[in-house]
Amino acid sequence: MLSLENISVGYDATDVLHGVSISARPGELTVILGANGSGKTTLFKTISGLLRTRSGTIEYNGQTIQRTRANAIVKRGIAQCPEGRHLFGKMSVEKNLRLGTYPHRNRIRTEEILHEVHDLFPILKEKAAHPAGSLSGGQQQMVAIGRALMSDPSLLILDEPSMGLAPLVVDQVLESIAQINRNGIGVLLSEQNAKASLSIAHRGYVLAEGRVVLADDADKLLDNPQVQAAYLGL
Amino acid sequence: MTLFTQQLFNGVALGGVYCLAAIGLTLVFGVLRIPNLAHGALYMLGAYVTYFFLTTVGVPYVAAIGIAALILFVLGVLLERLVFHPLRNAPHTHHMIAAIGAMFFFQSVAQAIWGADFRRMETPISGSLHILDAEISAQRIVIIVTAVVVLALLTWFIKRSIHGQTIEAIEQDRTGAALVGINPAMVSMLTVGLSALLVTIAAGLVAPINLLSPTMGDSLNLKVFAIIILGGLGSLPGAIVGSFALAIAETMTATYISSAVGEAVAFVVLVAVLAIRPTGLFAKAVQR
Repeated sequence: MLSLENISVGYDATDVLHGVSISARPGELTVILGANGSGKTTLFKTISGLLRTRSGTIEYNGQTIQRTRANAIVKRGIAQCPEGRHLFGKMSVEKNLRLGTYPHRNRIRTEEILHEVHDLFPILKEKAAHPAGSLSGGQQQMVAIGRALMSDPSLLILDEPSMGLAPLVVDQVLESIAQINRNGIGVLLSEQNAKASLSIAHRGYVLAEGRVVLADDADKLLDNPQVQAAYLGL
Repeated sequence: MTLFTQQLFNGVALGGVYCLAAIGLTLVFGVLRIPNLAHGALYMLGAYVTYFFLTTVGVPYVAAIGIAALILFVLGVLLERLVFHPLRNAPHTHHMIAAIGAMFFFQSVAQAIWGADFRRMETPISGSLHILDAEISAQRIVIIVTAVVVLALLTWFIKRSIHGQTIEAIEQDRTGAALVGINPAMVSMLTVGLSALLVTIAAGLVAPINLLSPTMGDSLNLKVFAIIILGGLGSLPGAIVGSFALAIAETMTATYISSAVGEAVAFVVLVAVLAIRPTGLFAKAVQR
C-alpha cells in the first residue's frame, strides 16, 4: 500500500503540488488523470525520490520513504517508467533490460522476468541486440516498461506511457499495462486518455493545478459528469 | 628501416602508457562531467608510491605497482568524496579550481616526503628482445603487454559486468540510472578510484624509463587532455586511438625532426583537430 498524506512539492519559490493525498492499494491499478501542468510528473518524481517533499508524508508498506533516495526506493519495490523514458540509448535493448535487474541481481529471477517481458512484448526479443535509441517510440516505451519490470517491483509507476504514440500503439501499450496488473503487480498510471485508462483501472484521481479535485472508483469516475465534461468530451 | 621499427615499438609502448592514463580521465569526464585537472598529480603520486614500495620497502616490481594501484584507488575514492562530491551542484569552475587545488596539494605532499630532486627508479626488468630487425627493451615489451591486458580487463568490466555497466548507464542517462537503482554517488567514487588505479599502472610502468619528480605529472596532464579532446570527450575508443596516434606521432617527430618538436606535436595535432572537427574524432552524439 502506497499512501501520500498531504504532500506539498515545489521548485524554487513556488509549490507545484499543494497538500495532495492519494493512495494506491496493493495489486490495484490506480490512475491519475490531469491536464498538462497539473502536477502528475512532479507527483511521480516525488514518489520515486527524484524530488523532495516540502511537507507531508509518503509511506510504502508502512515505511516512510519521503527522505529515501531514488536508487533505494527501487529496492523497496517501487519502479518507475518515467516520462521521456530515460533509456540508455546506446546500449542494446537486452542490456537495458538486464540493467533493470540491478536492485536484486538474482540470476534465476532475472531469467524468469525476462521471459515474462518477452511474452508481454515479443518485439523486444527480436530487437534484443539493437541499440535502444534506434527503436520506434512505441518500442522504446516497451523497453522502458520492461526495464522497470525487471526490478521485480510490487508497484509499477507509469508516467504517461502513451504520450506521443500512434493511436494503435496506445491501445497495445494500455493492454499490456492491464496484463501486467492482472499478473499481480500494482500499477500507478498517469494519463490524459481518461476513457481508455479508467476502463482498465480500479481507482482514479483527478489532479488539477496541483490539487486532487476528484477521487473515486474508476467506474464511478467514468460516469461522473465532471469527468465526462472535462475529459471524455460528452 | 631498423630505426623506424625501433621507434614504432617505442611509440606503441608510449601509447600504452598514454592510453592507461587517458581512459581514466575520459571515464571521469563521462560520469562526473568534469575535467579532472588533478589527474597528472595522481599519476605522479602513483609513480612515487610505486617507487616507495619498490626501493624503500623492497617488494617485487609487479607487487609494488599492484599495491600502489590499490592505494591510489582509495585516494581517488577519497578525492571524489571529499572534493568533487560536495561540489556536485556547484558551477563547473568550482570543480576546476578544486582540482587544481588538489593537484598543488599532491605535489606539495610528494615534495615534502621525497624532496624536489629528480629520482631514478632502477629498471627491475633488464635485457631486450629482437623483433624483426629492431632491438626492443624488455621494459617496453612489459608496458605493451600490460597495457593490452589491462585494457582487455577494463573493457570486459565496463561492457560485461553489471558494476562496470553502471558507469556507462550513468554516462548515458543519469535519471534513468537512478530509476533502475544505481547509486550515482557510488559510481562517481568507483570511477575516480578506477581512473587513479589505471593512471598508477601507467606511472609504475613508465617510471623506470623516465625520472621521478613532483611535477612529472604536468606534461602528462596536458597530453592526456589533448588525447581525450582529440578522441572526443567521454569516448573510450577515441581515447585509445588518440593515445596511440599521438604517441606514435610524438615518437616519430622526435626521431626524424627533433625531440623538442616531438613534445610540441601533440598540441599541433590538437589544434588541427579542433579547427577541423571541434567535437573530436570519435565524438559521442551530444547528449541534448
